[in-house]
Amino acid sequence: MVMWIAVTVVKLLIYFAILMLFVAYGTLAERKVAGHIQDRLGPYHCGPHGVLQPLADGLKLFFKEDIVASEADKFLYFLAPALAVVPPLLVLGIIPIGESITIAGKTIPLPIANINVAVLYFLGVTSLSVYAIMLGGWSGNSKYPLLGGLRSAAQFISYELVLGLSIIGVVMLVGSFNLVDIVKYQKDMWLFIKQPVAFVAYMVAAIAELNRAPFDLPEAESELVGGYHTEYSSMKFALFFLGEYANMVVSSAIATALFLGGWYAPCSFLSFIPGPVWFLLKTFALFFFMLWIRWTYPRLRYDQLMGMCWKYLIPITLFNILGTGLVVILKAGGV
Amino acid sequence: MKAVDGLKRAFQDAVQGVSEFRGETTVVIVPEVLREVCLYLRDKEGYDFLVDLCGVDNGTDRTPRYSVVYLLRNMETKDQLRLKVFTDGTVDTVSDIWPTANWHEREAYDMFGIDFKGHPELERLYLPEDFEGHPLRKDYPLRGLNPDRDMYEGGVKTKVAPSKPNTMILNMGPQHPSTHGVLRMLLELEGETIVNAWPIVGYLHRGTEKLAEYKTYHQVLPLTDRLDYLAPPSNNLAYILAVEKLLGIEPPPRGKFIRIIMVELARIASHLIWLGTHAMDIGAATVFLYAFREREKIYDLWEMVAGARFHQSYFRIGGVREDLPEDFIPALKKFLDEFPKALDECDNLLTNNKIWRVRTEGVAVLSKEDAIRYGATGPVLRGSGVNWDLRKAYPYAGYDEFTFHVPVGERGDTFDRYLVRMEEMRQSREILMQAVARLPDGPINTEPGKYNFPPPEEVKGDKANIEALIHQFKLVIEGVRPPKGEVYQAVEAPKGELGFYIISDGEPRPYRLRIRSPSLINLQALPIMIKGLKVADVVTAIGSIDIVLGEVDK
Repeated sequence: MVMWIAVTVVKLLIYFAILMLFVAYGTLAERKVAGHIQDRLGPYHCGPHGVLQPLADGLKLFFKEDIVASEADKFLYFLAPALAVVPPLLVLGIIPIGESITIAGKTIPLPIANINVAVLYFLGVTSLSVYAIMLGGWSGNSKYPLLGGLRSAAQFISYELVLGLSIIGVVMLVGSFNLVDIVKYQKDMWLFIKQPVAFVAYMVAAIAELNRAPFDLPEAESELVGGYHTEYSSMKFALFFLGEYANMVVSSAIATALFLGGWYAPCSFLSFIPGPVWFLLKTFALFFFMLWIRWTYPRLRYDQLMGMCWKYLIPITLFNILGTGLVVILKAGGV
Repeated sequence: MKAVDGLKRAFQDAVQGVSEFRGETTVVIVPEVLREVCLYLRDKEGYDFLVDLCGVDNGTDRTPRYSVVYLLRNMETKDQLRLKVFTDGTVDTVSDIWPTANWHEREAYDMFGIDFKGHPELERLYLPEDFEGHPLRKDYPLRGLNPDRDMYEGGVKTKVAPSKPNTMILNMGPQHPSTHGVLRMLLELEGETIVNAWPIVGYLHRGTEKLAEYKTYHQVLPLTDRLDYLAPPSNNLAYILAVEKLLGIEPPPRGKFIRIIMVELARIASHLIWLGTHAMDIGAATVFLYAFREREKIYDLWEMVAGARFHQSYFRIGGVREDLPEDFIPALKKFLDEFPKALDECDNLLTNNKIWRVRTEGVAVLSKEDAIRYGATGPVLRGSGVNWDLRKAYPYAGYDEFTFHVPVGERGDTFDRYLVRMEEMRQSREILMQAVARLPDGPINTEPGKYNFPPPEEVKGDKANIEALIHQFKLVIEGVRPPKGEVYQAVEAPKGELGFYIISDGEPRPYRLRIRSPSLINLQALPIMIKGLKVADVVTAIGSIDIVLGEVDK
């Protein structure tokens, strides 16, 4: 028992470190990718090619003046940024970065918690993110954040559905909510080949859930100045930022587990590279995809975003479930 | 002129005088019949477009002291008519006849204290509510009545009454990322839907018109750079052409061509900024940097010619300051060769992009009729389907020697205005190609010494001669003396019709210099464009009008 706790604590620390590193260098990647897409270099002067930029950013945010809006509801105002970081950290526990590892003759499973309802847990926890943004938008007692909070409430509730419905297809095929089982099912063929519609719907919904362009309406800077975090400064702002990037990372990680074969190598001759490395590479590829989208597309309008969700994505995912169900039944009947 | 004869027949004694100067007709009428005359001209004579309306202070010792000047245009026959009424302070409003007169009358009230009877909301346009005095009056000192006062508590407009319950008043600007400077908007919102909108201007007002009255004709030139600071050569050209019209001179062919090269580069540069910022407002941040990269090349070209990148002040009365440097034409050719590719790159990112289309198509529609009623000009007017370009309508500065095509939209929405400006950039490139191919040799100035400074080597050094020295001395100490008269000269600036109305009393300083700035007048149509749309469409609409606050606030 003591051994188990010790191992779990060590795993927690390592995964947390990986996540924070990923987030820190995710911000740098964002700026570098944006720079190169836009014909410029991005951060360049802090360390060679700007590699120390995340540290400098962190320091800067720590030392910035912490301004509290005078008319704010203080309790919720302080609670919101803290809440923003919690959901991605909770999801971290179920990410199947690899199957197991053998150290000193002992087999240690790599996921922190290999639970049977992992998918449900993921959906449940991510839907908590909306509270951070809503409370952040509302508690500042300011008009632009309010509009941002308003938008995000509608956006989250709608795209939550798409996210859930898109995963159902996967669950039906695999017959399990367990992420490790889902990854193992993909040993021979990744699920995005069997479930392309679900994969696309998941990615769209994930980007919308993350408030990333082209769905970054809650913080649309050209309309709402800063959106829900207009009234936040210093580390409170940084926490929102941290939450957003951590969310990006865990969303990419979950997508990797669900659709991109988790820790399996794309071809068998590449399997000498350890599984966790593959997992991180795939996660980063999806992360990069999100950056790429952001710097290519304009932003949708609020009503158009809702229209897209209810008129197109939800019917499409429902049909996907219907189709998957038919296939599953036909296969079962055929046997 | 047909309209003048008609006026004389219909109003007989009410027509006090008709004068003609440099091909422009001015009709003076008594103020009592102003509204009838305006309605007659609009409905019977087809003067559907009010180009400009401004006040003039005729001097503290004169009665009646003020005059109000209306410049009307018949867009079919292209006739222009200047209407003038003399008044001691009260005139009937024409803002219901031409809605564009609304802000013009507010400006005249602001600057001269002229009261427009029947105006729906006669408030100051530019200056704070608690400002003392009316600055364009001749007895108002240049430094103001309270030179030490630097704070105005009242602001311009602090509160508006909501039109119905349960709406929210949202203040957008003057500090806001998408108002393109210091424009302020008050929006009345119901959820995210716009019920009402009030644009508020004046945060960058510098009193260019007042300053100009204290400077010689040469000295006014740098002030014009600062109007539309994204396309200074266009402003320079409009002003210089007005002065040249007053003087009755024309530059030699090479001077004209050089000016057109500069002005068309300015159009491309200005449209590039518009493209970048408009795309950024809608969330496409990458186009912004692509557009800025291209604009940078134009600034390098300008630097070669004028030495300055931003405010060139390169044109002179009768020509330009100096000839093009030798390596300019090859550099320009290189830019013109590379430019279409760069523009296509932006085109590819936007024109067929589904998101761009749904964000711009059918958004902020301005109908043909409204565009004319609100005095919109430039791409805004053409986007609404009116084929009107001053370069074609009244070819100035030698534009009749160039072949180009004027793009016109159909529906008057944001997407049409976008397409019009994109095509205008390509057409400007065509004009530039022709100018480069046919650039004539010869002098660049008309009679240097008489209107313009003599070449520096004739004033100083071995080749100096006494005549040039005298000219230099006279021009610096005294300036150019144009004849008495008044002229209006407009150019098709990137934003629309930029006009300068100069009244000369024979002195080397303009008696009154009036700037018809297109951004200000186009902006007036914004509230009717965005009513009923969403908050996100406000920034789309502002971007598609393409305002620059240096020009809005003058």
